[in-house]
Amino acid sequence: MPDHTHTHPAPSRPLRLGIAGPVGTGKSTLIATLCTRLSEELQIAVVTNDIYTDEDARLLKAAGVLPVDRIKAVETGACPHTAIRDDVTANLIAVEDLEEQFAPLDLMLIESGGDNLTATFSPALVDAQIFCIDVAGGGDVARKGGPGIERADLLIINKTDLAPYVEVDVEQMLRDAGDVRAGLPVIALSRHVPESVDALCDWVRSVRTAYGEGRSVPQDPGPMAPHSHGHEHATG
Amino acid sequence: MYAGIGALLLADGRLPTGGYAHSGGLEPALAAGLDLGDVPAYMRARLQTVGLVDASAAVLARRSDGLADLQAALLARIPSEPLRAASTSLGRGLTRLARRLWPEHHATHMLEALPSAPLRPIALGAIGAILELEERQIARISLYDDAQTVAAAALKLLPVDPADAARWVLESAPIVEESVLLAVATSRPQQLPALTAPLIEQWSLDHSARTRRIFVA
Repeated sequence: MPDHTHTHPAPSRPLRLGIAGPVGTGKSTLIATLCTRLSEELQIAVVTNDIYTDEDARLLKAAGVLPVDRIKAVETGACPHTAIRDDVTANLIAVEDLEEQFAPLDLMLIESGGDNLTATFSPALVDAQIFCIDVAGGGDVARKGGPGIERADLLIINKTDLAPYVEVDVEQMLRDAGDVRAGLPVIALSRHVPESVDALCDWVRSVRTAYGEGRSVPQDPGPMAPHSHGHEHATG
Repeated sequence: MYAGIGALLLADGRLPTGGYAHSGGLEPALAAGLDLGDVPAYMRARLQTVGLVDASAAVLARRSDGLADLQAALLARIPSEPLRAASTSLGRGLTRLARRLWPEHHATHMLEALPSAPLRPIALGAIGAILELEERQIARISLYDDAQTVAAAALKLLPVDPADAARWVLESAPIVEESVLLAVATSRPQQLPALTAPLIEQWSLDHSARTRRIFVA
């Protein structure tokens, strides 16, 4: 059995931060934003997970937000869910390679392949995770919930600038998210709204500080609702 | 004591080594024009060539001496860089498993001491030594894994009834056993079979330049 220690000394490797969420919600752009905003203060590298080849990695490389050799693509054989959850081997190898090659890094960002609402990172791969949804995916997504929406360390409701065009009430989405997240943070993000990007960067800094001080324990959103001993059987 | 269940573990596609991202060259083979009816023959061709080379290397690694020479001999038999990379990624997955499960074992240290990351058969054979698998068993696992990789990828790439894919693997048994006997007869790295499959090599190079592939290799 692996040993589970309950003391957390200051870690020797960077914070590994996962970004998951459905396809098209802006994960790659979110990563590009973080790199642009934080690369002066933090040493960053990125691992992308793609359904086909290395498209997300190429998008980030083209964006010019990081030196290209700090961006590595993991190919997932059409199993993006498996690669971040039940067999994280390929991702761990990519992460360990970058951490060794560019030591000392401060922040390792890992982007999941755009999968579905149930895909979350294994705590064996990431120390903390962001789940990203967007207003264009429908105003009821936050209310519907799911492991990432309910229990990721941070929920991003992205592209709020599009809300008027898709007739979504952002305030209502935030209330819905607050209801299902029991106090965990939510940020309504638009890269065109500087305050929202500031809030995102501040959150990353705070998580990094907690991690650096050994105060952070990876939380598992899990693929399932938390276990209950009642007689209700949740479906869906 | 662990050999029985250890053999099953190593042969199981659910073993966490990243194998699900590989097609054993089937995806590029189909892109080059092979079709559904060719898959069993493709599987057999691998088992008699690159599959046999891998199985022989796994047997030698099972004997646990001179892994560095063996790794060099096997690299020399894999001229295609994408195929080397694919085998290396699986070998690193297996090595990670060994490091996690048997960090103090001599065989694990030997894998870590290699000048380049272990290729899949080297790591597989080393774990076979840790689990005390018979040489024939480790050869059979290497070949079975090769065939199952093709079969599992076929289910994603082609319209196949999964029971038919299972039949392909089962019906490859005579060739698997033939290759098992050849593999265990290999006595040292210099004698490692050097059977190549030039089309598989060429297709692997074509595949690495493709932008919309599903599988790594």
